[in-house]
Amino acid sequence: MTRSSQLQAAPHTAATEADNDVLRRLANGDREAVAELYDRHAARVLGLAFRIVRNSSDAEDVVQDVFSQAWRTAPTYQAARGTVVGWLLMMARTRAIDRLRSRQSRRDVEGAPDLEAIPSDAASLSDQVIASEQAAGVRAAMATLPSEQRTALDLAYFEGLTQTEIAERLRIPLGTVKTRIRSALATLRRSVRP
Amino acid sequence: MTVDRHDEFVDRLEAYALGQLSARERLEVESHLLVCATCADEVRAINDVLEGIAESVPPLQPRARLRQQVLAAVADVPQERARGLAPIDVPRRSAWRLLPLAAAAVLSLAIGAVAIRSEQSRRELADQLRRVESSNGELLDRLKRFSGQADLAISSLTAADTREIPTAGRDDAPAMRAFVSPTRGLLLVADRLPVPPAGRVYQVWIIEDGSTPVSAGMLGDEPQGRGMLIATPPRKNVGGGVTVAISDEPPGGSSQPSGTVLPVGSI
Repeated sequence: MTRSSQLQAAPHTAATEADNDVLRRLANGDREAVAELYDRHAARVLGLAFRIVRNSSDAEDVVQDVFSQAWRTAPTYQAARGTVVGWLLMMARTRAIDRLRSRQSRRDVEGAPDLEAIPSDAASLSDQVIASEQAAGVRAAMATLPSEQRTALDLAYFEGLTQTEIAERLRIPLGTVKTRIRSALATLRRSVRP
Repeated sequence: MTVDRHDEFVDRLEAYALGQLSARERLEVESHLLVCATCADEVRAINDVLEGIAESVPPLQPRARLRQQVLAAVADVPQERARGLAPIDVPRRSAWRLLPLAAAAVLSLAIGAVAIRSEQSRRELADQLRRVESSNGELLDRLKRFSGQADLAISSLTAADTREIPTAGRDDAPAMRAFVSPTRGLLLVADRLPVPPAGRVYQVWIIEDGSTPVSAGMLGDEPQGRGMLIATPPRKNVGGGVTVAISDEPPGGSSQPSGTVLPVGSI
């Protein structure tokens, strides 16, 4: 069974159960569980990291950081606080945004280029893999958001901008930024729990 | 802290979940979340949506070498080190000619021993660091909880409509004072509570006349039997026929009292 078909075939609840089992083994010092966790979620972590940093080298560094951190902090993971994939993706987003900001600072100083095309051997798995009904619902709902709400949410989520930075970037009042993000999240929330 | 500041927190929950707050603002929100179930639920719901956004991004198949890099990065003990202790084969040589080899073997063994001791020390230090980090995390959580409770307690105690609930006045009643405000909620402060049975914690109940007990939350497990709880106000009939009680329950609480119920007082 290929990695992508593993992701595709497993129902979400069964996948969650399997993830929790891997995390328990990880927390007990079973290093082989890292490989299993990687096989289950590296594609998703890389996809999100690349979506944020837009650079394959930085995205791969993020993947390495995330799984190292997962290994290191697995004993403190609490299933009640969220799913394993959510935990990994949260770490991926945080680290990717850190890299984005660091690169932004360097570019401001050095004028280095930043964007890069998707690497040829890192083919998109695209819609073959649907992580959960929740993700499918959110993806569909995001397509229905008014463009101004979608832009504000993208800047906040994928670029890690603060509300003030978004207001400056879009040249709109801070209150408008808050309203747009809140409205966008409310719409997406209805798609998660109708 | 006033109710208006509670509304301020509500206004900042999206920014908190998106990681847009400063460290100080984040700490303030986290202190509030530890004592406000409504806001904690709201953050969980927002996080569900954010997780959905993350999962909705198309995955990318990693290059094969990345897997090896990741596994190498998390490997704890380098494999090369064991080779330094391999026995040295020295047949058919005179004693003098063996001297350099013997010295090299001793040196190799010494380096190996130092390496092993260093590895043991490194592991011990790593363990100690993990314990310190864990302890720091617990202390920070307690600090946040205390800060959030203090804010809400001040809000409750200074509200114009707050009044104290007469305690039960029985010998077996815990050292506890209770205050209720229709707008701020119910505040319970306890000291020197008797130690609950092993594996049990205190849960607070609001019992309206003719109704089944409703959980108001857990009282906490601070040392010296101290605890504080801020709960939403009883839903109806504030001012008549409402009893506040505590009971010992399993960690995480029960849907209905299963342990000994001690009445605290009546509203």
